[in-house]
Amino acid sequence: MYFKTLRQVLFQPFYLGLFLVVSFLVLSIAILLPSFGLLQILWQSSSVSLLEISSVVISLYGSLVTNFTVFSASYMVAISLLFGLQIALFTYYVKQLRSQTTNLTGVGASSVGGLVSGFFGIGCATCGTLLLTPFLALVGAAALLTWLPFGGEEFGLLGVALLLYANHIIVKKINAPLVCQT
Amino acid sequence: MEEKTQKQPNPYLIPAAIVLAGLSVAAALYFSSSAPAQTAANTGDAKPAVAQQPQATGSTDAVRPVDETDHIKGDPNAPIKIVEYSDFECPFCKRFHVTMNEVMDKYGESGEVAWVYRQFPLEQLHPVKAQAEAVASECAAELGGNDAFWQFADRFFELTPSNNRTEIETVIPQIVREIGLDETAFNACFTSGKYDDHIEADIANAVETGGRGTPWSILIGPDGTTYPINGAQPLAAVEQIISIAKDGQ
Repeated sequence: MYFKTLRQVLFQPFYLGLFLVVSFLVLSIAILLPSFGLLQILWQSSSVSLLEISSVVISLYGSLVTNFTVFSASYMVAISLLFGLQIALFTYYVKQLRSQTTNLTGVGASSVGGLVSGFFGIGCATCGTLLLTPFLALVGAAALLTWLPFGGEEFGLLGVALLLYANHIIVKKINAPLVCQT
Repeated sequence: MEEKTQKQPNPYLIPAAIVLAGLSVAAALYFSSSAPAQTAANTGDAKPAVAQQPQATGSTDAVRPVDETDHIKGDPNAPIKIVEYSDFECPFCKRFHVTMNEVMDKYGESGEVAWVYRQFPLEQLHPVKAQAEAVASECAAELGGNDAFWQFADRFFELTPSNNRTEIETVIPQIVREIGLDETAFNACFTSGKYDDHIEADIANAVETGGRGTPWSILIGPDGTTYPINGAQPLAAVEQIISIAKDGQ
């Protein structure tokens, strides 16, 4: 069912493009987020050209290797691909089965939960560099990180699980027969 | 038979969800640049000290000027200085240490770049050990000078596994012997607590400049412009920033 559905959706150029673009955007945000301050400074500087900024951005993609553990890089790539797939499948579903009655609140909540959880996970992976540590500090619970067996990378796995669940639901919806319910 | 009428799927659900996700990330970003930092006050005990540091301003311009009290690799008068705030137990600092050594191999000989090492032990993530190792490195510098500090740092990152798994009781004495320091004097220094304030000042400055984790580095260009380097960025990225800083002079 899954393979057939994926082929049905991703063999269409529009949905394949949507999948690739969204996946790339999510992965880019994860990779470039730690350098947001740097890019902001470069962008605001009148002496730095757009070409130079582009060169910096391209070079920063190398941080997928240096600024992530193998584990965190793996689940971040997985989250990006699953989120891209989720958007492509959902768009396909809404376009093709616009008239079918359904409630997709669960799908939306799972995919967003997966994305946010995944981002929190990568925050933990880089010695507090990204999101989770400051966030936990805000709520006075930074010591939580030392209690988690994987130092917070559990959130990344949770993200993958939530997105898998969201994709599972949407594939099932796409394959559900069009019938009038009595 | 009556057909049951159900709600139409809301076409705005997923776009709204994506916006919500974006807002969540943006909010986290906002908090990360405005919340009090959570680095530990290092008083020798293992308790995490939350939000005891000054309010973070996030301005890299607040970097303390480089002076003779700093640990500097390369020419202290180099036009470009990279000030790194680092934690000896952080695996990404270990990785970035290699990158910075590569930077110095390329730009240090010519006197273009100097590397300044400052302490940023994250007590919450690496309790007790990170602080002890920072003290040990300061004692190495006291007893053997600037070269001994860098020998200690290079060897420490080379030998240890990071993430609070270092056997400091064996590794530190081993390095002290290897670099030829007086062990008795080293032990006296190590247990004296004399560098606690110095390390505390480094942590405070890291936080003041916007540091939220390690490695946190600030590149100071020839014209005084500062550029943040957050995390273990690759050599190519550091080189790009060096190039921009050079062009901007």
